[in-house]
Amino acid sequence: MIDQLLSELRKMRSTRTNLGLLAGMIGLTLLTVLVNGFVLSANELQTHDNQHTLLSAGTNGALFAALIGVMAITSEYRHGTIRPTFVVTPDRRRVIAAKVVASLLMGVAFGIVAIALSFGVGYAILAGRGIDFALATNHVLLLLLGTLFMTALWAALGVGLGSVVKNQVFAVIGVIIWAFVIDNLLRELVPDAGRFTPVAASDSMTAGFADYLLAPVAGGLLLLGYVVTFVAAGALVVARRDVT
Amino acid sequence: MATTYPALEPSVAVPVEQPQVVRAEHLSKRFGDVVAVDDLTFSLEHGTVTGFLGPNGAGKTTTLRMLLHLVEPTSGRALVFGGRYQDLARPAARVGAVLEVADFHPGRSGRDHLYSLALALGRRDPGGDHWFLGRERSAAERVDAVLDLVELGSAGRRRVGSYSLGMRQRLGLAGALLGDPELLILDEPANGLDPEGVRWLRDFLRAFAAEGKTVFVSSHVLAEVAQTVDQVVIINKGRLVTFSPLAELTGRLTGDVRVRAPEAARLQHALDREGIHSELLNGDELRVQGASTARVGEIAYHADLLVHALVPESSSLEDVFLELTAEGPS
Repeated sequence: MIDQLLSELRKMRSTRTNLGLLAGMIGLTLLTVLVNGFVLSANELQTHDNQHTLLSAGTNGALFAALIGVMAITSEYRHGTIRPTFVVTPDRRRVIAAKVVASLLMGVAFGIVAIALSFGVGYAILAGRGIDFALATNHVLLLLLGTLFMTALWAALGVGLGSVVKNQVFAVIGVIIWAFVIDNLLRELVPDAGRFTPVAASDSMTAGFADYLLAPVAGGLLLLGYVVTFVAAGALVVARRDVT
Repeated sequence: MATTYPALEPSVAVPVEQPQVVRAEHLSKRFGDVVAVDDLTFSLEHGTVTGFLGPNGAGKTTTLRMLLHLVEPTSGRALVFGGRYQDLARPAARVGAVLEVADFHPGRSGRDHLYSLALALGRRDPGGDHWFLGRERSAAERVDAVLDLVELGSAGRRRVGSYSLGMRQRLGLAGALLGDPELLILDEPANGLDPEGVRWLRDFLRAFAAEGKTVFVSSHVLAEVAQTVDQVVIINKGRLVTFSPLAELTGRLTGDVRVRAPEAARLQHALDREGIHSELLNGDELRVQGASTARVGEIAYHADLLVHALVPESSSLEDVFLELTAEGPS
């Protein structure tokens, strides 16, 4: 298993795919934190909720983390490297497991960068504009840990999703449409069920005990449940699907 | 009490019963309504170089993929070294495969492609090496060795996207050789190669086989492999057409004589009396088998028959191949 894991990490490091995703994440996180930090007035930024939003820019990392996982499997099908991969390791579940662990690690790395950016720039903006810091330590800690969990778990979720879908374009578009459209619609239209979507579960890990969401630990467990379900489904599908 | 043991026999090279390197047993694969491989049975001995021939769509690729556990048989068994591929320990250390010309990520260097495969393959002898550095070092050594072997050397650091077709072919082969396998499975390796590439590949396979290793190479063009293989498995529409030494195919090369004669039917009689088989093509044409032009002319002369034309006709290996695959079950 260590052999497969090192192999997967090597694959991730040897194309520009993840560098591109990292650049995208840095760009979007910076944009979000800068917009929130300078569009809001100094008065507005004194509230707890707005400061929380400002520092939450790093949760953007989850989307890019999901794409790490999606690309890890779909790019092998797209470029045909899945054939040599499975010829070397015919136990396909082991390949998927290695991709999940490698993506988790990569997701954590992305999470660290995202947090460093959102916290670093967020604090700098508050300090620079002379605004007092209003967040309780436990909320800050929750945001930090929650963001890391999110990026790690979404990366793993991406592997599961990509394994089921296989087609790279469909999988990437699927993730984006889910995160920006379907999930939001569900939460708006059917709030009772909307609390349980993957994105809502993620938000409940970071959102500072908001009433409309699950408790942080419950949200984390629910997201973990999604990950386990998708990865198991993906492993099953990949193991049974002929590689033609 | 002292026990006397019989003196040990001097060790002689007892030929060990080698399980067949490749074996298909009533192998079938159905994709929906399409029968790709139909009750295919054959086996290859250790040290043979076998051509796997058939027209496009005959089921060659599906068969090779079943041998490598990429495609699951609908029924029957596909075995390598006496077992299923997925049950072998470190299978890629025994079987190397090149299945497509371009199974690479264009943005990854050839070296990194091989490196990731070498890491997944693992070490032959973990020894007391460091868990991480040991793996990295052993992978790097294997990668450099195979890059040299396929004469790709310094190009390994470039992205595969910049490679020529011939270089991709070599990179694929390098990947197959990472585990130092005893069996090479190649699917249409010469497809799209220029003549120089084809010759390089042929020389390479000959050298590989000269070490007593086994090669199973598919092609839809017999001529591509005729100079490399010593036996052929020919399939058509998923079914076995023939499994024979190449020499037997060569033996089927006919030296027919085509005769145009106004009274062809009477000439056929005359030939029959001499025990020479011939076939009436139309009113005034005959194809004579197993006789020289001189002999046919002589018989016609003695029978007082007019001959307009007497043409020797020889078939190529390709004709035999086409004939064999054309007469397959429909």
